[in-house]
Amino acid sequence: MDPPVLAFRGVSRDYRSAGGAVLHALRGASGEVAAGEVVAVTGRSGSGKSTLLHLAAGIDTPSAGEVLLLGRPLAALPDGERTRLRRDHVGLVFQFFHLLPHLTALENALVPALVAGDPGEAAEARARALLASVGLGDRAGDPVDGLSGGELQRIALCRALLRRPRLLLADEPTGNLDEETGRVVLELMLALARREGSAVLFVTHSAELARAADAVWTMHSGVLERAA
Amino acid sequence: MRRSLLRAAAKEVRGSRVLVALAVAGVALGVGSVLSIQLLNQGALGTFAGTVRAVSGDADLSVLPWAGGLDEAIHPEVLATPGVAWAVPLWRAEVSLDGRPGEGLELVGTDLLAASHAAAWTLPSGRLGEALASPGWVAVTPELARERGWTEGSRIGVSLGSRRATLTVGALFDLRKVAPLASRRLAVMDLAQAQGLLGVRGRIHQIDVGARPGMAAPDLARALEARLGERARVATPEQRTVEAEGLLAAFRLNLTALSLVSVLVGGFLVHASVRASLARRREELGVLRAVGASRGQVLRLVLAEAAALGAAGTVAGIPLGWLAARANLAAVSGTLRTVYLLEGIDRVTLGPGVLVLAIAVGVGGAVAGAALPALDTSREDPRALLSSLAVEERSRASAGRLLAAGAAALLLGAAVRALTPGIPASAFALALGVLAAVPLAAPAALAALARLPRPARLGARWGLRTMGARPSGASVAAGALAVAVSMLVGVTVMVGSFRGTVERWLDATLRADVYLSTPSWRRARSEAVLSPAVLARLRAEPGLASLDVLRQVQARAAGRRISVSGIDAALPGGEGRVELADGDPRAAMRALAEGAALVSEPLARKAGLGRGATLVLRGAAGDLALPVAGVYRDYGAEAGAALVDLATFARAFGEGPPSNAALRLVPGVDPDRAVARLRADLAGEALQVRSNRTLRGEVLAIFEQTFAVTRLLQAMGLVIAAAGVTLSLLVLARERRAELALYRALGASRPALARLFVGRGLALGLVGLALGAGGGAALAAVLVRSVNPAFFGWTLGVHVPWVLLASQAGAILAAAALASVHPALVASRTPVRELSRDAL
Repeated sequence: MDPPVLAFRGVSRDYRSAGGAVLHALRGASGEVAAGEVVAVTGRSGSGKSTLLHLAAGIDTPSAGEVLLLGRPLAALPDGERTRLRRDHVGLVFQFFHLLPHLTALENALVPALVAGDPGEAAEARARALLASVGLGDRAGDPVDGLSGGELQRIALCRALLRRPRLLLADEPTGNLDEETGRVVLELMLALARREGSAVLFVTHSAELARAADAVWTMHSGVLERAA
Repeated sequence: MRRSLLRAAAKEVRGSRVLVALAVAGVALGVGSVLSIQLLNQGALGTFAGTVRAVSGDADLSVLPWAGGLDEAIHPEVLATPGVAWAVPLWRAEVSLDGRPGEGLELVGTDLLAASHAAAWTLPSGRLGEALASPGWVAVTPELARERGWTEGSRIGVSLGSRRATLTVGALFDLRKVAPLASRRLAVMDLAQAQGLLGVRGRIHQIDVGARPGMAAPDLARALEARLGERARVATPEQRTVEAEGLLAAFRLNLTALSLVSVLVGGFLVHASVRASLARRREELGVLRAVGASRGQVLRLVLAEAAALGAAGTVAGIPLGWLAARANLAAVSGTLRTVYLLEGIDRVTLGPGVLVLAIAVGVGGAVAGAALPALDTSREDPRALLSSLAVEERSRASAGRLLAAGAAALLLGAAVRALTPGIPASAFALALGVLAAVPLAAPAALAALARLPRPARLGARWGLRTMGARPSGASVAAGALAVAVSMLVGVTVMVGSFRGTVERWLDATLRADVYLSTPSWRRARSEAVLSPAVLARLRAEPGLASLDVLRQVQARAAGRRISVSGIDAALPGGEGRVELADGDPRAAMRALAEGAALVSEPLARKAGLGRGATLVLRGAAGDLALPVAGVYRDYGAEAGAALVDLATFARAFGEGPPSNAALRLVPGVDPDRAVARLRADLAGEALQVRSNRTLRGEVLAIFEQTFAVTRLLQAMGLVIAAAGVTLSLLVLARERRAELALYRALGASRPALARLFVGRGLALGLVGLALGAGGGAALAAVLVRSVNPAFFGWTLGVHVPWVLLASQAGAILAAAALASVHPALVASRTPVRELSRDAL
């Protein structure tokens, strides 16, 4: 049986302030995301949602417990290995899009291929196809600094899915968009992820948007509570 | 409030040590460049004035020859002039020290009895009798004595012309107590002894005059001029210093201009550093503005920080400038002595004037460099300050406008030059136009890189391309590098052209096989003559085809001091000795033999003399009007030179022996053997006997020495520019943390980010190089075609030292790549969690 795409096993994450005080951002979290599964993470600000996502991406390392990506414990891997794993199997979508303002829509979507050194023509064809699938096929050559928030997040989505990641991690992907645009973008994201066969772990404040997921994890003061 | 702002500034410094250090280093190098040149410039004039003061003391006036020397018989006439309190005759010449090529004593023969009236020094008590009675008694400075290991009683072998003499150190006395900048090589002896041992009885070079109480110096000068007529000129010590200033004006101006380029480049560094600081603190400043800080307060805060940066750079730059000046003392001193025939510099001193200048340059340059980003930031509203994109948007939008401004600066410089061709300084306006256009074109040149094809992998090529897409402060660093490269290329091509021209000129005019002069000739000229015995021996040389002799004197013509040479115009084949700007050399030589003169290009340009004009030469017996038969190329005397036949020379300056000789040998005779024979036969005479090849090498060595300071300034400019590359990339690494974090989040490895930054360093290097090459070519054209003819009067051919330029280009690219290593390492360590900021 294949291991889950992502697994948290008793993961805790503590931060020490300059004054020496310890902040428990995450306390003994456990949970799994299976291939093709969509999981929403909800909770109040400061409840540990983003920390959970950072740990999943290997951007952060746990103070205790382990995070397994495709069955491999991230904290045990050297930085280079962890980086390669993220590059090849994880797609990231951010609340504030994080597109490079000096690049066009197509070039932004192509950044993961550039990072991985994928063959140019195939990657470009895939990026164009993804942009077309989110309704931005005719904006591929446009600089991104003139585009709307919804358009920017759709481009960020294309970037995240370019290399067919096994796991898509999205941190408040609709948090910087109006309600209607946010809903459309989330629908697009989930539809595309399902089409590509990617598992999704996304953070949202919205209980309504969370209902689109197969499972909802609720965070409360660093404690993860799972609900079906 | 003020205290908390200061704390914020201090925190910023702690958090940006490398950036601050680079900016401080940039200012320090700029200050160092300017200071070193000013110290050398001041040293040159200070030594001249100090020596005048040490020799002439409280004299109100000096009676000086128009050329060569004065007849001693003039002294009683001076003394008899109403209003003269005292008059001291002086014999002066620089004599060579035996066994120490290129070194000498500035020997002053004076009436030691009368000197106590005039000079600010007096002999140690009880030594006068000894000084007068002991043959060769000479007083030297303690500093020179220490240097040479002389004590009282030491015997010193010296020569003037081919004549040798032995002097005895009779006393050490410190002239520098009187005039701190006076030459340490000054030596004083009895006038009659000096004349007898080394000179000519009855011949002096100067009479220092003191006015009676109540007699104004200008009135006395007029009285003396009326009495002496055309036999001598009268000058105050101040006038003599002003004359020296005039002689050195072009030399000093060129060095000053070159040193100012370092300040310009240093200013760019401060600009980049302040930009970096502001980029990091935009939010802080935005909050300050949001809570009510005025624009003026923000502006003052930023400028005060820049001033502090400038002050730190100045503190570091002052010792640097002093060391650089010391390192170049010998080269500049050599140039002053051999090219300008002035006193060499012994030391540099840091006076309050240069310190004030250093502070003004360092602090002023830093504040000027910070002014633009400070003004920009202070003008922004709090909302814009809290958004990081505003700076980027503006820098991209302004690339076109800056390019247009650069083109306008270039056109303005060209227009100024075209409209005022007669004003030498307008040549600098054109050079300034080029130097202004180069950095202004940098943003557009960087933007052009964005059009490069997209690479398949994140790395150096992507760094190159994205640098163009988002130049930001990098255009400032590229501009600074381009200015430094322009100077490097421009000056390299100019020096190469100069060297090539001089080599070709030497090929054309050095036709004899063996050359003879004396060790003291370079400085003493007309005093350094060949003895009859030497001339007789030369005439007896086996295989001699022809013997050419030369006399030379510093004389006044067309309102300036020029070098006048007398040659045998009728010498068969002698037309090959000169290269005319135009016209037939044979006809020119015939005219010379009939009493005409040839003028050098610098003299022709500066005095407006051409073929057919009249050169009025102030000779020993008054003015001599000579028709100008042509203009000849000459690269030895910047002030100007004239060539006449020996007979004309004698008519103007009296009969006398030659100072130089050249032998042409019949084909088949080995010049090296002739040199060896002459050296052996004339071992008792102070002579320099050289083959054509050796002389040529020595001339080129003097040439290289003249440009030694130029090379130092070029190197300092380049170091500043390389620091600018590092600084700019560090700024980028800071400004683009979010971008770098994104690449890391998307799986980019640390080495890939490091390569990206090396690519950005190369982008800066390439743009700096490309723009600098273009700017340098234009600058070289301006220097060769406009500045040199306008300031020095020389026509130069263009000789491009391609190999040297290629090696410099390689070094610049390597420096840019090396300069990017540290920023690349910094960038590669960017943590992915930086992405949590909204900073892209």
